[in-house]
Amino acid sequence: MSFDDKKHIRGQVLALKSFKKSRHLNCFADCSKTVSLAFRRCGANMTLAKQTLELWRGTMKEVGGKFGTGVLSYFKFLKWLLMFNIFSFLVNFGFITIPQLIYHPTPDIPAGVSFKGLEILTGAGYFSHTVMYYGGYSNKTQGTGGRSEYNMQLAYFFTVAAYMVLCGAALIYSMASSFRKKYVLADSGLGGAWQLLCSWDFSVTNEKAVRQRKNNLRIQLKESLSEKVQVALLPLTERLKHYGVFLGTWLLSTGMALGCGASVYFLFSGSLLEEAATLLLPFVVSLINLVVPLFYSLFKKIEHYSNPRMQVYAIIVRNVILKMSILGILCYYWMKDVANTFSCWESIVGQALYRLVIMDFLFIMLGSFFGEFLSNVIGTKCIQSLGVPEFDVARNVLDLIYAQTLAWIGIYFSPLLPVIQIIKFFILFYLKKVSLTQNCQPPRRAGRAAQMQTIFIAILFFPSFVGALSMVAYTVWTLPPSDKCGPFRGLNTTFSAIQIWMDDLNRVDAFQWTVWIYQHVIRSEIFYFLVSLIILVFIYIFRQITQGRQLLIILLRQQIVNVSSSELSGPTCLVHQSCCVRSGCVYVMMLLKCRSNIFS
Amino acid sequence: GFNSTFCTSDILQVQLSFPPPRLFDRYRDLAPQLVPLDYTDQPDVRLPYELIGSMPELKDNPFRQRIAEVFSEDGEGNMTLDDFLDMFSVLSEMAPRDLKAYYAFKIYDFNNDDFLCKSDLEKTLNKLTRNELTEDEVRMVCEKVIDEADLDNDGRLSLEDFQHMIVRAPDFLSTFHIRI
Repeated sequence: MSFDDKKHIRGQVLALKSFKKSRHLNCFADCSKTVSLAFRRCGANMTLAKQTLELWRGTMKEVGGKFGTGVLSYFKFLKWLLMFNIFSFLVNFGFITIPQLIYHPTPDIPAGVSFKGLEILTGAGYFSHTVMYYGGYSNKTQGTGGRSEYNMQLAYFFTVAAYMVLCGAALIYSMASSFRKKYVLADSGLGGAWQLLCSWDFSVTNEKAVRQRKNNLRIQLKESLSEKVQVALLPLTERLKHYGVFLGTWLLSTGMALGCGASVYFLFSGSLLEEAATLLLPFVVSLINLVVPLFYSLFKKIEHYSNPRMQVYAIIVRNVILKMSILGILCYYWMKDVANTFSCWESIVGQALYRLVIMDFLFIMLGSFFGEFLSNVIGTKCIQSLGVPEFDVARNVLDLIYAQTLAWIGIYFSPLLPVIQIIKFFILFYLKKVSLTQNCQPPRRAGRAAQMQTIFIAILFFPSFVGALSMVAYTVWTLPPSDKCGPFRGLNTTFSAIQIWMDDLNRVDAFQWTVWIYQHVIRSEIFYFLVSLIILVFIYIFRQITQGRQLLIILLRQQIVNVSSSELSGPTCLVHQSCCVRSGCVYVMMLLKCRSNIFS
Repeated sequence: GFNSTFCTSDILQVQLSFPPPRLFDRYRDLAPQLVPLDYTDQPDVRLPYELIGSMPELKDNPFRQRIAEVFSEDGEGNMTLDDFLDMFSVLSEMAPRDLKAYYAFKIYDFNNDDFLCKSDLEKTLNKLTRNELTEDEVRMVCEKVIDEADLDNDGRLSLEDFQHMIVRAPDFLSTFHIRI
């Protein structure tokens, strides 16, 4: 459509809008126009202020410009997780810590314990008596008759529960919307059309990066041209050999993961409590997390996946199995042994988690040093053939997921653990950015960043969040809280606090409905059974609809080919032209709407 | 002609007299002596392509000339403030997929005939690979592209074919995006 047509349509659209407005030209309209203009100016100023305050905006633009959207997704993920932790800190500090500090401003520390520097690493000693851990909170209902009452037990329980529920909702929502936007009709491979027309990253603004991307694209196009007919059916023996190798590597990797978990358990069932020696457990765990994935990447040499994407998925799954099995074994150890052996066991678990978080942070820094800095030095000075390293997005994101799992498990045992996590993520952002810009080059393959993003969010939800939630739920539901410390001392289980509260409410007539909901909805099994049944029915119906639509797509595609191959040229031109004009109108209006949405 | 249509429009008056501060500042910074601070009487100011193409966000983009041509009124790359705002709103994160696909199609359509024919694809390929593929390779890639994406079998890609391909490329929304 020519520019004159476009101008004409724009003029018509805007004239129509102004005609509608110019019908009420009077004093009142003038006033309201001025007022609305003032509001819009104010709104725009606020948006501008919000954007300048937006965290790390300039840095992310710089990273995206040089390294592209794949690497940028790591930093966006980091920022997103930071928001979870900031929210958790605000909620915990506001509802749990502040009341405790108001009513007991000084922690009652036994004589002889003072602040030595080692506490920052071990979390034990001086810290174990402060509000950092579960043990530092009292179980009394605060406040006398004069001031309003504050029930610490209910506050603790509901704060943790509300945070977990909100996190779960946020994760499910972002997983679903990411899946819907980015996983549509996932096709089998990177075709030439996709590479040529859709994969150029317009946000890359650095000249060297642009040149590199052009090189990479050229190499990829050459590769895809030279691929003859793919893996034609290999003879049976070859295929059996491949499957045998796969089976072997998977058994080996799972076995290694379980073996590491078991060794962690047996090494530390006779637990050592001297302060410096307690650092050994987190050290071994972090060492396993650093070294074993390097073994896994060696498997790449013997396995031959048909699709390079399957390779990446296999590595991700193996790493997840390793990390989750170690965490699982640790949780089992805490639930079974520590809970029975120590008084004030929740604080002990909180301290162990604190140590794991700190040690994980130290090891990430080490990993950055070895993975990126040393690789860069080796690749450029010693073994020239290796070249400058690439930033391994998958490995780094999995490290982030592991760190966040630790924070989620620790919510119940150490309410102020999010503070440490916030500091850790803050420093990590700048560390990774510096390491990236100094040591790495942009990735060679235009990867499927969007689909990887969906997978990472899915891994964050399950097993990371679900695992943490089940552990906290098991603790709250079944384990007896410790007798001598914490807000739930003296009760059979943590959940009994709710029971007691419901019994209290039962005596007041005005709250009978709450008690009814509690007894007949939350505590009844029939309700959950019915809800699950209804959800399953809906899933079945939607699946049938999806399958029907896929069939329809195939039929429509065939129809397009049939129609275009059987039409004459005359009517086509006119139809095509009128289609163009009509769609041109649609797009001009869309553009105007987009502009007014974005800029107002 | 063009300006008089807009004189009576309240919407554009508000938009042009108060364009978003940061973008207007970027536009003005390109040529402070040409662009007035006050846009209430819709001055007819057009920045030449050389200034637009020297912006840091665009200067290394292989398609900067086509982008400027597509969004400018006169088709030569000389942009008014309106065109500038259009360009960055389409290339922002919040533009809908269909709008982005439409403009991406126009950018790749070098001869402006509403179809991506073989010569358009060849020119796109040359801009993306620094002219380092041989003629044979260029021809083979273009044939492969048309084979894969041409749904109605007419030997060239129409807007619908292009949009269909975009649907299967979930990254497109984030790659067809310039941060400003």
